[in-house]
Amino acid sequence: MDWIRIIENTFRAFAGVDAAYFALAAIGLNVQFGYTGLLNFGQAAFMACGAYGLGLTSQYFDISFWWGIPIAMALVIILALLVGIPTLRLRADYLAIVTIAAAELVRLVVRSVKFKRIFGGSDGINTFSNEFRALNPFQPSAQYGIWPFRYNGYTMFTLLVGWSLVAVVSVLVWLLIRSPWGRVVKAIREDEDAVRSLGKNIYSYKMQSLIIGGFCGMLSGMVFALDRGSVQPDNYSRDVTFYILTALVLGGLARVMGSIVGPMMFWGLYVFSDNFLRQLVQSAPLRIGGVTIIQSTQVGAVNYMLVGLGLIILMSKRPQGVFGNRNEMALDGR
Amino acid sequence: MNAKWGIRAMVFIGGIMLVLCFAGTQVSAAENDLFVIAQVNHQTVASGISTREPVQGVKVAVLDEAGVLVGEAVTDDMGEAKISVPSRAGYTVQLDTSTLPDQLSLITGTSNSFVILADDFKTQIKRVSFFIGDVGVSTTTLVEKISQRAADGIRLGLIIALCSVGLSLVFGTTGLTNFAHGEMITFGGLMAFFLNVTLGIPLLVAAPFVVAFGGLFGLGFNWVIFARLRKRGVGLVSQMVVSVGLSIMLRNMFLFQFKGRTRPLDDFSLQKGMDIGPIKITPRDLTTGIISLVVLITVALVLQRSRTGKAVRAVSDNPNLASATGIDTQRIIQIVWCAGGALAALGGIFRGLDEQVGFQMGSGLLFLMFAGITLGGLGSAFGALVGGFMVGVLVEMASLVVPSELKNAPALLILILVLILRPQGILGKKQRVG
Amino acid sequence: MVDSKQVSEVATQARNAFAEIRPEPGVAKADPILHVVGVQRHFGGITAVNVDHLDVQRGSITALIGPNGAGKTTLFNVLTGFDPPDAGEWQFDGVEMNRVSAHKMATQGMVRTFQLTKSLTKLSVIENMKLGATDQIGEHWWNALVPARWNAQESLIEQRADELLTRFTIGHMRNEYAGTLSGGQRKLLEMARALMTQPRLVMLDEPMAGVNPALKQSLNEHIRGLRDEGMTVLFIEHDMDMVHDISDWVVVMSEGQIIAEGTPSQISENASVIEAYLGAHQGNTMYEETH
Repeated sequence: MDWIRIIENTFRAFAGVDAAYFALAAIGLNVQFGYTGLLNFGQAAFMACGAYGLGLTSQYFDISFWWGIPIAMALVIILALLVGIPTLRLRADYLAIVTIAAAELVRLVVRSVKFKRIFGGSDGINTFSNEFRALNPFQPSAQYGIWPFRYNGYTMFTLLVGWSLVAVVSVLVWLLIRSPWGRVVKAIREDEDAVRSLGKNIYSYKMQSLIIGGFCGMLSGMVFALDRGSVQPDNYSRDVTFYILTALVLGGLARVMGSIVGPMMFWGLYVFSDNFLRQLVQSAPLRIGGVTIIQSTQVGAVNYMLVGLGLIILMSKRPQGVFGNRNEMALDGR
Repeated sequence: MNAKWGIRAMVFIGGIMLVLCFAGTQVSAAENDLFVIAQVNHQTVASGISTREPVQGVKVAVLDEAGVLVGEAVTDDMGEAKISVPSRAGYTVQLDTSTLPDQLSLITGTSNSFVILADDFKTQIKRVSFFIGDVGVSTTTLVEKISQRAADGIRLGLIIALCSVGLSLVFGTTGLTNFAHGEMITFGGLMAFFLNVTLGIPLLVAAPFVVAFGGLFGLGFNWVIFARLRKRGVGLVSQMVVSVGLSIMLRNMFLFQFKGRTRPLDDFSLQKGMDIGPIKITPRDLTTGIISLVVLITVALVLQRSRTGKAVRAVSDNPNLASATGIDTQRIIQIVWCAGGALAALGGIFRGLDEQVGFQMGSGLLFLMFAGITLGGLGSAFGALVGGFMVGVLVEMASLVVPSELKNAPALLILILVLILRPQGILGKKQRVG
Repeated sequence: MVDSKQVSEVATQARNAFAEIRPEPGVAKADPILHVVGVQRHFGGITAVNVDHLDVQRGSITALIGPNGAGKTTLFNVLTGFDPPDAGEWQFDGVEMNRVSAHKMATQGMVRTFQLTKSLTKLSVIENMKLGATDQIGEHWWNALVPARWNAQESLIEQRADELLTRFTIGHMRNEYAGTLSGGQRKLLEMARALMTQPRLVMLDEPMAGVNPALKQSLNEHIRGLRDEGMTVLFIEHDMDMVHDISDWVVVMSEGQIIAEGTPSQISENASVIEAYLGAHQGNTMYEETH
């Protein structure tokens, strides 16, 4: 077993682009779920808004890629209104149900043959990132960094952009949460009626939170799309939201650092498990007493089984995250 | 972590794995390498719906980019030819038209060769499909189309209604929206596959066992996880997130054992349709439809008349009041999980007959079930029956006007409209909202 | 009890205002801050509230009493916009309030508390208090991002919150999570938090429920204090002694309707009230209307 390789990959994933785009989306989910108590199970759709906002500039409008930002923002607001208006007055479940449905539908629409001319169908769009690539200050093919954090020039660029966005967005969210605005949304999470009786328009605050979280998701989708240089509908499936949610809970709900550390740990652990298992069964399936336990085609499934198991255990045992403070959570049974 | 819980969880997970172990054994022989699988189907269109039947004995070859033969194979009884390839690279898949059965040819306008790019190997297997038969010459009238869609819709509606009773009752009695409910359906389908295909037990004999296992499976959900969370006073929102984790875990366990492909059950899988008026329906579909209807009516009667049924409705109405009047709420909740699991498993068998068995067959229905129970009224069992049925019919009918790839879209529309206009659903109680 | 008590000047005024009022259901008051006409609320076939006419006199302490299930809390919910009525209208200080949403009522000076206290457990006591202040600049997200814009207002609010906390004797708990407070302290916090909205009408839903006798006495003082500062208090209560002690006027509900009104001494002599109260108490259920 090549432990050096496993450790190297684990560390690279820890600080990699995947962790960065997960962190952006997790910050958004944290605003929505961690602070406001809104269960948005369709963060993937908000990410798709970001990615397709960029993609549409080349595929449909044929304009500069910078226009992707206002386009994506408009898409996010439309989506948030669509899912928020019918559900934000109702119990938390309805938002979860509608967002999960909307996310699935968004994916079906963008990959449909019917709208292929606009969204590129199941092939996606991969013609929008040239302007972005031109801004790259690094040599795309050269290697940068010190062991084990070695990346090529293009990855280095998206890493720089991704983590810078994470830093900026975290600071903004931190400012929001420690302000009176943050006080109101945290109070909404605790008890809507009490907040309403004190003269706050909770409907409006929930919508604001949904949209702000949606913008974070949008940035996440953009970073992801720019890194891959393509927008693929199947990258925004329902499960992506759940993996991000798992990463968030891993870091701890309702703490700004949690939504950054969580995704880093998530990817570190995921890549470790993936590499370890793959090396284990690389040459031959793992057999115990003649019974095949696991073979290479099953490694992916095992990884995601562990993700699911992790979410179950974390959410029922430690919703405050690995480093969180148990006392705060003990105050109620949320 | 609590030791007792750990034991419960291990028993439960171990049980599922043990059962599922066999489901996949047939196909789990060395699949370590890259494959191209060519699927050859005979496609016939009648009354606006197309049916596909696998074609056996067709020779398919794979050539590399230089045109050198990499391998060839003949389609099996599943209509599949599996050819091993050395690496993720570009290939051309060619069908030998001379090996096609007599009087059959490729669908007009389609080629007998298929080009694969290296990027196409998303997993270890790349599948390509060839269709033979004549397509496009549809002579159905609008009336025929509409009535056919209505018939399909009724069947789908009945299955959705069957599957969502448990979802709605669990919500009613415990307040939990269970995102892992789809996996209960999948479990039923996979169990049916295991008993029917792997062990070769006739489906009619196997079905009662599948339903019983489904009931135990549902009971297991409650026993291992949710009863415990309720006891500890974990909030509903957290429980919902836990159910999401459970859904991910189970779905990947299914994938682990069953692999990514969908497969048909052995019994009743190839049937010729009968013409009843303008509708073409197989005896199988007619039978499953009738059984579903009978089961649904039974469920409704049980809820309406029996002592247990009344207790279930009382708990759904108001758990505190019900327990104050001496109803054993925890036992009612167990009954609901068990019955919900059993009905979902039955739905899984029917869905498996209808659409083949696959690891995602249940989670794909989840959203339609949500739309159904919301339409009917969250927490109301009758609502789930009526709403689920209506959503099934609407979705199938909508595909007359909406492209079939988007045929679930109207369900989202229903969901949103119901929540705006009548959040309590058609049969739900009026409650304070916002 | 009451007669021997030292009564403030405001209290005397408030009581005098009722001297001329006839003790009958739905009677008009000289200067009503709240004026209710024909409010009805049905749940299925049950009429939970059916109030033809109700005035609440400005600057008074009015008690709303009645047996369990009389519809007191439902009336509160309807009047504060938490529950839409099936019919009726009501004015607060001359402004039509039907169809005004709950949060707007609070900003217009009509604030309520809840029977089951709603402390925001994972916010500190002081944060709970500051939440109550209305028109906060920093509650708009665009201002929130620039602390300089709201810092000045925030410290004024905090000052006011601290004063109220001290007055309500929970100043020492200011930095604790509200979830760590005792039941009685939560009642105090909820009342103090409601006052942060600077209301003209304070509607208290069973402020004394589950509070120990010693604390009851101080809650009494606080409620009197509200009136003496010029606020109007409308409160729901079960305890007749407490009602006697502090209220200037009593409204009795039974089965959704107002069956009697009058000064505390008039009410305690009213035969129909005693019958409704005692009669209904015999069939008392454990299930109190809470929603």
